[in-house]
Amino acid sequence: MPLFREGGPAGLVVDDPWLRLADDAAVPADGMVLVSFGRWRAARAALLARRGPVGVALANTDPVEALGPDVSRFDLVVLHFPKFSDGRAYSQARLLRGRLGYQGELRATGGVLQDQIPFMLRCGFDSFESDQKGFGEALAKARTLFSVVYQPTEDGRAPASVLRQRVTEVVPVR
Amino acid sequence: MAKNLSGDLQVASANRLSDGVVVWLDDAGGWTDRLDRAAIARDGRGADILLARAQAEASSVIDPFLVAVSEGHDGTVEPLSLRERIRASGLTFDAIAADAVRYA
Amino acid sequence: MPDTHFHRPQHFYKYDDYDRTLVAERVEQFRDQVRRRLAGELTEEQFKPLRLTNGLYLQLHAYMLRIAIPYGTLSARQLRQLADISRKYDRGYGHFTTRQNLQLNWIKLEDAPDALAALAEVDMHALQTSGNCIRNVTADHFAGAAADEIEDPRIWAEIVRQWSTLHPEFTFLPRKFKIAITGSPNDRAAVRVHDIGLRLWRNAEGEVGFEVIVGGGLGRTPMIGKTLREFLPKKDLLAYLEATLRVYNRYGRRDNLYKARIKILVHEVGVEKMRADVEAEFAATRDGLLGLSDETIEAIARQFAPPDLPARPDRVGAVERLKLEDRDFALWLKSNVAPHRASGYAIVTASLKPAGAPPGDASAVQMEGLADIAESFSQAELRVSHEQNIVLPHVAVEDLPAVYRALGQLGFAEANVGKITDIIACPGLDYCALANARSIPVAQRISRHFASLARQHDIGDLKIKISGCINACGHHHVGHIGILGVDKNGVELYQISLGGDVDFGNTALGTILGPAVTADRVVEAVDSLVATYLDLRAAGERFVETFRRIGAEPFKDRMYAAL
Repeated sequence: MPLFREGGPAGLVVDDPWLRLADDAAVPADGMVLVSFGRWRAARAALLARRGPVGVALANTDPVEALGPDVSRFDLVVLHFPKFSDGRAYSQARLLRGRLGYQGELRATGGVLQDQIPFMLRCGFDSFESDQKGFGEALAKARTLFSVVYQPTEDGRAPASVLRQRVTEVVPVR
Repeated sequence: MAKNLSGDLQVASANRLSDGVVVWLDDAGGWTDRLDRAAIARDGRGADILLARAQAEASSVIDPFLVAVSEGHDGTVEPLSLRERIRASGLTFDAIAADAVRYA
Repeated sequence: MPDTHFHRPQHFYKYDDYDRTLVAERVEQFRDQVRRRLAGELTEEQFKPLRLTNGLYLQLHAYMLRIAIPYGTLSARQLRQLADISRKYDRGYGHFTTRQNLQLNWIKLEDAPDALAALAEVDMHALQTSGNCIRNVTADHFAGAAADEIEDPRIWAEIVRQWSTLHPEFTFLPRKFKIAITGSPNDRAAVRVHDIGLRLWRNAEGEVGFEVIVGGGLGRTPMIGKTLREFLPKKDLLAYLEATLRVYNRYGRRDNLYKARIKILVHEVGVEKMRADVEAEFAATRDGLLGLSDETIEAIARQFAPPDLPARPDRVGAVERLKLEDRDFALWLKSNVAPHRASGYAIVTASLKPAGAPPGDASAVQMEGLADIAESFSQAELRVSHEQNIVLPHVAVEDLPAVYRALGQLGFAEANVGKITDIIACPGLDYCALANARSIPVAQRISRHFASLARQHDIGDLKIKISGCINACGHHHVGHIGILGVDKNGVELYQISLGGDVDFGNTALGTILGPAVTADRVVEAVDSLVATYLDLRAAGERFVETFRRIGAEPFKDRMYAAL
């Protein structure tokens, strides 16, 4: 499944350097490993003791708050959309970015379609697995679709309510 | 007085993608907005084939499905269910006209 | 649209460039999505949620566009444009719904982006009128004019409208989410039967805040909402809503479409647990960016500043005379005219329920006629009520005869508001892909049968609500007489219930009387219920009060004996 990040007119297709570890597979001593939330909880100490970065993949029912201060130890968090219409991971993403202060890569997998990209970017996702045709081009354009937003979120964009207060004298956009 | 809604005779119907208009699959494999031109399947096997053909022609319509119909002595085809009769013949009351000042 | 009409000052929220830009960009995004669908790049499954969040349904005969009329407030100019759009892209009529929306029934997919662009010209949209997102926010249709109002709820509805529009976290909720707001002790927004109901009230300290009610709703599993927060300071509204929606988004059921509304979550975990979860989430976000500053609130509130109504006489000789000369006018004053908070003014409800008409429908010519009347007599402003009528909020008492005559020419001066022919009905099986039975023809028959105004006024307040399926768009559960269409082996049958009510403090779900009746017996059934009431009512007692006093049995026995 192609993995995309923002950059360039067709998005960047990037190689996935992460080894996704099955829950019963042995943990390699080094290299980048991606483990499930359950594995992380069960083998936290062992995973921290090894060399090399660690990432965690959550089901959309996993309690993201439980990662707590550990988030600074991850270089990757993967959030899953079992169907594109199941939006639980949007809340998980915002909690990770906003409440827990996670700063590493935040990846969307599963039902990831181009028309969701603007929402995903606003919730703090920055990498995307998708096999939809045209996804990269859509990703490249996603930030240009809406020049106005109404909600403060983890993307840091100033919502209209804030801009209105800043520009009491000046004419706003356009 | 309840009718058997799973009659043997079936036509394939859908709504046209571009404008939502009700259409039926005709004998030539095209979609027509006239029920009297719909291809009729006369048994279970024919119905399976009809539905498969409809699905193969589904790019210009939305979600084809089978509709049980009856056929009169004069060849008039009528859906068995009220819902499908309304789909075929339209509203059962007079909608107000665009230039009407009052509902008459 | 060349705007040839005199621009009147608007006394409700005016879009600024931010709002306009967002709506315009959304139209262009949808235009591209429609193009991709027609080109076969999107499957119907992928496209459906995209069109739904832009208000576009597929019904039996065509696509249907559901246009948002936020908090039910419209300018005359906007209504003219709606008439225009209905003519150009539809069949020249529209249907006002119980959620203060307008539905056009014959839209083409290929025209939908242009229709939306035409809406945007008058600062309107169809955003989030469908789909599993936060729907168009509704409010008291007398807001800003009612004599009993504590504060204009539309200020808050607009704040919620903006916050909920394209909310990135809440566009793929387990199910749809409806919010209603009232600013009056007499709730005209049915806040106890919404996913979230907000009721403005003044506490003992004299502060105005919200009672937050959660988990109400009709549909398949009707429930009365429960109080989540007795008193919420106004500045915390968005933080509290976001906390509630987040809890719902994370924990609401997604395994079963019919158990996915927040009412089921509240029911299953209990209101105490729900409250604890929401309060914990709220505690973590309340001091964040969602807190509403006084300036933000003020800036929006200013736009809802009431119009400057010139002093007009409270008692007018001509009105009093006409009252004596014209009995129908006298009845109309009683049922269709409500007190305004400014003396010399009144609130007029134009009945979109003339005898025998499909409830809530208006032709393009009628819409333009209403716009004319609003321009001449009501500060160029109108409201859509959840009872599918149009309200003229600021009419001078001395203009009432002229307004009555002008509405009469449109067929909208029927003196039946709140009466037995002021029927709420969903579109039913004539239009709707979900319906099991027809609603409109049933409403028409009842309406014709009880057409006599004198008789209607003798019967008094009686709300009939008709739904063509269990999804309850016609709110049958809360009808004094509720009628639910069901399908039994291909035959339409109608289940009759009694005693539903949405009045605050009396909110109740109706009691089903017994076996469903056939379509051709519905009128007789209703007639019998009315006869029972007329025989057994105590002096001054309304239908629903008699029901509460004597229960269902007397009604039931006589009704089934009559059929």
